[in-house]
Amino acid sequence: MDATPRKPGETGFNILLLLGSIFLFYQAYKIAGFSALSSPGAIPMAASAIMVITTCIIVVKEFARPKAEGGAKAFFTQILPFTIAVMCGLIILFAVVLQQLGFVLTGLAFLWVSIWFLQKRSPLSAALIALLCVFVIYVLFRLIFQVILPEGIIPERDIIASVKNFFAGAK
Amino acid sequence: MPETLQYFLMTWTQPQLLFLTAIGTFAGIYIGAIPGLSVTMAVSILISFTFSWEVNNALALMAGIYMGGVYGGSRTAILLNIPGAPSAIATALDGYPLAKKGLAGEAIGLSTTISTLGGFFGILILAIAAPFVSEFALRFQPRDYLLLAVMGLLLVGSLSGGSMAKGVFAGALGILLGSVGLDPLTAEERFTFGYTDLMTGISAIAIMIGMFGVSEALDQMHYLSMPAIKQRLTRIVPSWQDVKKHLPLGLRCSALGTFIGALPGTGGDIAALMAYDHAKRSTKNPEVPFGEGAKEGIVAPEAANNAAVGGAYIPMLTLGIPGDAVTAVIVGAMFVHGLNPGPLLMIERPEIFWFTVGTLTLATIFMFIFGMTGIKIFTKIVEWPKTVLLPVILLLSIVGCYAINNSVTDVWWMLGFGIIGYFMKTYGYQLGPVILGLILSRLIDDNWRRAIISEQESVVGLFTGIFMSPLSLFLFLTIVFLLFSQTKLWVKLKTRVLGRSAKDVTIDPTQV
Repeated sequence: MDATPRKPGETGFNILLLLGSIFLFYQAYKIAGFSALSSPGAIPMAASAIMVITTCIIVVKEFARPKAEGGAKAFFTQILPFTIAVMCGLIILFAVVLQQLGFVLTGLAFLWVSIWFLQKRSPLSAALIALLCVFVIYVLFRLIFQVILPEGIIPERDIIASVKNFFAGAK
Repeated sequence: MPETLQYFLMTWTQPQLLFLTAIGTFAGIYIGAIPGLSVTMAVSILISFTFSWEVNNALALMAGIYMGGVYGGSRTAILLNIPGAPSAIATALDGYPLAKKGLAGEAIGLSTTISTLGGFFGILILAIAAPFVSEFALRFQPRDYLLLAVMGLLLVGSLSGGSMAKGVFAGALGILLGSVGLDPLTAEERFTFGYTDLMTGISAIAIMIGMFGVSEALDQMHYLSMPAIKQRLTRIVPSWQDVKKHLPLGLRCSALGTFIGALPGTGGDIAALMAYDHAKRSTKNPEVPFGEGAKEGIVAPEAANNAAVGGAYIPMLTLGIPGDAVTAVIVGAMFVHGLNPGPLLMIERPEIFWFTVGTLTLATIFMFIFGMTGIKIFTKIVEWPKTVLLPVILLLSIVGCYAINNSVTDVWWMLGFGIIGYFMKTYGYQLGPVILGLILSRLIDDNWRRAIISEQESVVGLFTGIFMSPLSLFLFLTIVFLLFSQTKLWVKLKTRVLGRSAKDVTIDPTQV
């Protein structure tokens, strides 16, 4: 018998997975019910049934193990420490404004804030590193690989075109 | 034959492809070496940046990264006792003790040479076996595909040492996620909840980037302050005697690695651990005990993990069933480029197959060259602070995911699965089976329905079919065995028959 104590929040997470699996099983049932073995709902139902069964096993086995110690405090130090929670927040914020403000601005801001936050050193060095990274990524992916990056409020295409024209004119 | 040779040499003769393979291998070594960056992560992020490329260019780059990445993990395993990639866990067991004795250079030299040997071995088997397998596969019935896919999912769950229930859950979740959207056969809606956005399904690449990019990066935030140990490296070219002495073990482990790699679902990490176990059992009198710096302990896993690369390509190119997580992602990339891996690929597009073999061979040569040089720069790059690296990975994940369809919805899916993936990883679920299930979902769904329709919806008919065909029966019995091997009864039986409980090697998924 496994005697390692549960991790903080483990039971909650597994129960959430179990509830989610039951919900998905119900949704899979609604596709075609038990109408035919070859129905479009057959594999989704089988998969979600397996999910329900396995999460049941996981939860039952877990209750046999010693409880996690430390409660919510342990959860926020071991599983979701401040650093990770803040980074999660930052990437969500980044995704929200990416399309409106464009890659260059949001990328720069995201890297600056997150590097500064993680390094806990001067904001200036973080800004320089962020600038360098965004420059390299922009040249590599946008200019060489021709990947479309969200443009946002900076009229990049116009700038690139005018730089090209400038050099073309110089010839 | 001349045509085959022409396809094989395509990468060697076109400067652009040659360059991309070299760059890929070089990058792969570093990606593999830096703990927290994985090959799966790199390849899944790269799909989004290379989908507008010509398919050959994209495949060359990915093959290079794959080959280099599997090898690169050994560097940090030896130097820092931190396996840079899961396939190098076993290498650290004896590699690091060697480094502590001041023999890091020799250990790296030997691991490079043996990795190259393993790489070539795997590719050779790929070149020889794949044409036969694909010819044989033309006779596969839909039920065989179904059984093979299920077997692959179970293999990952049972061999990797984690909880089988969690492995199976992850696989089933992948299958379910793959079924979201309009049913390809009847156009009925599945899990769309009335949203038109969901009708085309959830982008598989978004899920991959989320699970391997974002969740991995978040997980690495736990280990921001890991001190690097400085090593003085002198000689790295291994002595001929050393290589000659370990050649037989290297070849045996290459064969083992290729086989494990070729099994659907299992790749270099499992191959390396099994090879290490084999070396331990078969080496009667090691000069130095295992765990204290035995050279056999480096030779075995390093031969096996690189051999597994060629092996993993076999089921992927011939059956469309990925050999491991990386090939699962590469299958995703091939779909994006309009290729359909499976037995017909070899007939319709033989150039893709021989091109892949040629590229992998070239990547192995580059791996040897880069492996034997540039150690000094290497230690510098590996010391790159994670505080910069991780934000850059997150940025690339988001931007790359957006770039596939210029869709913000994809980014949301990716972030969602990134965060779920982080918790799953933390609580001991493996993410590999999710991706495998996702890639196999369509294949399982199609073949189940074909199989059951051809038997007029009769389960009895399906089982009669299975028992009448030797291949189906073999696959079916393997699945039954895999399930049975997880029961307490099996453990009891094994203990009674062997007289002791056989010591299994296990991977701790949280270790890397």
